Order: sequence, then C-alpha cells, then structure tokens
Amino acid sequence: MGTRMNERSQAILFCAIVIAAIAGLYGATQLMEPASVQSGVVRFVHLRIDGPGWTIRYTSMATINNTAFSILVEAGQKLDFAVAYVPYDLPKGMFVTEINGTSNGGSGGLSWQFWVNGAYGTVASDHAALSDNDVVLWAFTASQDGG
Amino acid sequence: MAGDVPRSWRSILESGLGDGRTQILGIFLIIVAVTGTLVMRRYANIETVFVATLLAGSLLGRWWTVLVPLSALVVQQTLAWSVFGGYALSTMTGVTFFVVSGYLFVALVGRRIRPRILFRVKSVALLTTISVPLTVGYDLWTAFGEWYFLTRPFGVTLGVMIEAQVPFTLYHVLSSLIFVPLFGSAFLFLHAYGWPTRSADRTSSEPLSRE
Repeated sequence: MGTRMNERSQAILFCAIVIAAIAGLYGATQLMEPASVQSGVVRFVHLRIDGPGWTIRYTSMATINNTAFSILVEAGQKLDFAVAYVPYDLPKGMFVTEINGTSNGGSGGLSWQFWVNGAYGTVASDHAALSDNDVVLWAFTASQDGG
Repeated sequence: MAGDVPRSWRSILESGLGDGRTQILGIFLIIVAVTGTLVMRRYANIETVFVATLLAGSLLGRWWTVLVPLSALVVQQTLAWSVFGGYALSTMTGVTFFVVSGYLFVALVGRRIRPRILFRVKSVALLTTISVPLTVGYDLWTAFGEWYFLTRPFGVTLGVMIEAQVPFTLYHVLSSLIFVPLFGSAFLFLHAYGWPTRSADRTSSEPLSRE
C-alpha cells in the first residue's frame, strides 16, 4: 500500500515538473533556432525580383548584407524602391509583406517568396545566409492550383 | 400559444449556454483567447486560443465547446489574413478549414474528459498532459493543410514542410505548458467556486454541478 500524496504535495510536484519541462523545452527551442548569420563580406551576389509585370535586377560586387533579406533591403535603398516587412520575435525572423509597392494583400493568389540558387526558402529570409556568386530570387508568385 | 415560442427559444438558449456562471466563464474564455491573440501577435504559436478551446470543452461543455473556438478564430483568422493576405479565397478557406477543424477537435477531446475535471491538482495535470499530444496533433493537421494549400504548389514536399514545422511546434507545446496550467487552475477554481460578490447571501458556496 503506497502512501497517497496530499493535495499540496501534488501541487508542488506538479509545478516542479511543469517548470522543468518548460525550461527544457525552451532550451530545445533555442538550440533549434537557426544560427544568426555571421557578418561577413560576400561578393557578386545577384538579386532578381519578379513582380507583377516588372522585374528588378541588382548585383552587389561586395557587400556585408549577406542574407536574402538584407540584400533585398540593400537593393531597395540603392535602387530606391520600398520594402515592407513584419519582424517576429519568436521564432526570430522577418516576414516580407511588400516590395516596390506590391504587397501580399494585393490581388488573389499572390505573395512574396524567395529562393537562393533555385532552392525554396524554408527559413526566415534574414536567416538565409548567402555566399559568393549566389543568386537570390524574390518572386510574387501565384499558387498553381487555381486557388 | 404565441408566448410559447419565445419561451421555448429561451429554454433552448439556457440549455445550450448553461447558467449564469457558465455563461460568464464562456465569455471570459473568449476574452482570454482573443486578448492573447492580439497581445502575442509577434510570438508565433505562443497563443491562448488552444487553452481556451480545451477549457471550453472540458469545463463548460454545451454550446461553448464550439462557440469559444469559433469566436476566437473569427478574430485570429481575420488578423492572420490581414498580414498573410494575398492568397486566393479558396486557399484561405482551405487553410481556415484545417485551423477550425483542428480547434474543434481539441474542444471535443476536452469535452470527452469533462466528467474527470474537478478543482484538483490531478485535473490540472491531466489537462496539461493531454495538451501536449493534442498540440502536436493540431500542428501536424494544420501543417498538412498549409502544405496542401500554400506550399505544395511551389514544389515543397510534405517532409520539408513538417521539418520546417518542428521549431514552431516546440513553441506551441511551450505555449500549452505555460497557459494550460495557468488558466486551467484559474478557471477550474472559478468554475468550482465562482467569485466573491459584495453581498454574501448572493454568493453560492456550492461547487457548480457537473450535469
């Protein structure tokens, strides 16, 4: 016959388990966060932005803006077009909502997506590190299922 | 006879919404869900709709099982599509279907365990424990919906989508581990004992019945 814990002991034990679980899980989330892109100079990065009926091309011979996001912002400053974005705190990341006056809230089925060397971006664009000679594409793309 | 119609409607409403305390708690849960969504917009997957939905099913039952998640989601989805807008109506409807059905499933699971939920540490522990697999299941379900309607057309495989979902699910589980014990304890207390009123004779000392 085991002794039954009283309500207070159960509460203390439960709190301890929950706090330990929260701490462990938070640690795991921090380990899984994409590593911050280390600052560094990248050369000959090519950027293409495909909007609805327009294309912007930009090449940076040498820049410290070595992410898919920061090269876009750099191009916007150099070529004088607007880039709007929403910063997220958890997980950290920038969500681009508008480029050159074309926003995600526009006509149906279209939103801004990015690719680096043909690979679809699966992390936030400010965590997508660039290397020399990389090709970045930002496209205002329609879903192809007619949706 | 004409007077019977409003009376029958009132009795349907009363049986669906429960007594005064149940109605106030239901409205509180909607406020918790909506306020949490508004306040924590910048923290992906840290949200209070899940806990409100689970508590609606497991504490209140009745129409609140559906009313709480749907009311919160009207606000949540309106906000989501104002930021992530630009998708076609069928895409938005498809993703919304997965979100709504996911939350309804959570509420229905909550309703199923309702008879075992009392103001006890064990009940809070039970709610917290089941919230973990429910959160993971909900995330898998909605990730499938988002893959099918949002990213599959771009050639993204389901495996890549699930892999990208992992950190977001960890945050969602973290959210459940924080909010389910927190709001669970508070609402279990309020559900069992109500709240103090100015006149003692209007305060019931009886825990709420479980019918």
